Amino acid sequence: MENENSPLELAVLAGRILLSNGAEIFRVQETMERIAASYHMDTFHVYAISNGIFACGMENGVAHTAEIRHVPLAPVHLGRVTAVNQLSREISQGKHSVPEAFARLREIETLPFTADWVQVLASGVGSGCFCYLFGGSPFDCVVAFFSGLMVYLFILLAGKRHLSKIMTNILASAVAAFCGLSLFELGMGHSMSHIIIGSIIPLVPGVPLTNSIRDFFNGDYISGTIRLIDTLLIASCIAIGVGFVLKVASIMGIAVGVPV
Amino acid sequence: MISLFDALIQLIVAFFATVSFAVLFQVPKNQYLWSGITGSLGWLCYLLVNQGYGSVVIASFAATLVLTALSRFFAVWRRTPITIFLICGLFPLVPGAGIYYTAYYFIMGDNAMAAVKGTETLKIAAAITLGIVLILSLPQKIFRLGLSKDRF
Repeated sequence: MENENSPLELAVLAGRILLSNGAEIFRVQETMERIAASYHMDTFHVYAISNGIFACGMENGVAHTAEIRHVPLAPVHLGRVTAVNQLSREISQGKHSVPEAFARLREIETLPFTADWVQVLASGVGSGCFCYLFGGSPFDCVVAFFSGLMVYLFILLAGKRHLSKIMTNILASAVAAFCGLSLFELGMGHSMSHIIIGSIIPLVPGVPLTNSIRDFFNGDYISGTIRLIDTLLIASCIAIGVGFVLKVASIMGIAVGVPV
Repeated sequence: MISLFDALIQLIVAFFATVSFAVLFQVPKNQYLWSGITGSLGWLCYLLVNQGYGSVVIASFAATLVLTALSRFFAVWRRTPITIFLICGLFPLVPGAGIYYTAYYFIMGDNAMAAVKGTETLKIAAAITLGIVLILSLPQKIFRLGLSKDRF
């Protein structure tokens, strides 16, 4: 049970929310140190990697340690990262007592995701737009829009069934390729490649790539490596899923065309 | 050279593409506009450099420079973690098409083209990395641009 008066526990909770919602290691450590300093802890040390936080500190002459283990599979929620950032700024200005800050953190921890249908729609719009940016015709974009909807519906479904991350990515990109291919074969769109590229975009590992680069930049090599492996793994999963569907199609004698 | 009209359409589409990812990553609603602008200006830079030099790698590098600098400025100005603008704005540059073409040629048995596309994908990723690292290395005060000092 967490002690609602302990700045150490407060810092660790803030760190955990940041880490599991897509912040980089540097921000996690900096925020935790800032919180500890604001409440005048005697000493405070923190070590964070992409799936764990270890912190120890001395409060009123008594040493405490805390440890968090976390599996980085949670979906990214940058709204929570922003909220914790804002709260830590207010804490350094001395606006909150420890129990107050705890209450705020608990609210931030449960900030809701946008409704499922909004996410699905955003995925569709994203797919359609990217299809256009990568050279698809407007007709291709409409097809990619529907294909993108299906991909995200599948991701949400897989999330509810607790499917593993690797399987989710392989199957979701297979869904993207299957939708793109079958809609194209039904006579919709001009370029199958552009439709499929648009519809796999919601799966592309932009977040782990960016965070990996930033962790390396800050000298957090272990976390950077973990996230780099995550990036490469997701990219391979996409390639496997798309490749599988295209191969099956070509074996079945469906011309999968020459990519442009 | 692309016409002004085409460039405008590309800007608008890139804006909506970026904003749709801002929605997916639960960026606060009052930052949608700015992450969209980061993404669309980055993409415009990519287009122009790609037209001028004909190299997607150099274009990705130049675009990353522009959008990382913009992200840093917005982060100071909007008092928000830079992550919000950087992740969303970078999305148009992340080589999704490269992954697709690599898989496509590999599966179709064209190993030479698969190697070409695979190498290009890795080069783009390296260009993005270099771009981000260069801009992150600049001192913070450059991005304050006359804003008061309490914004960090």
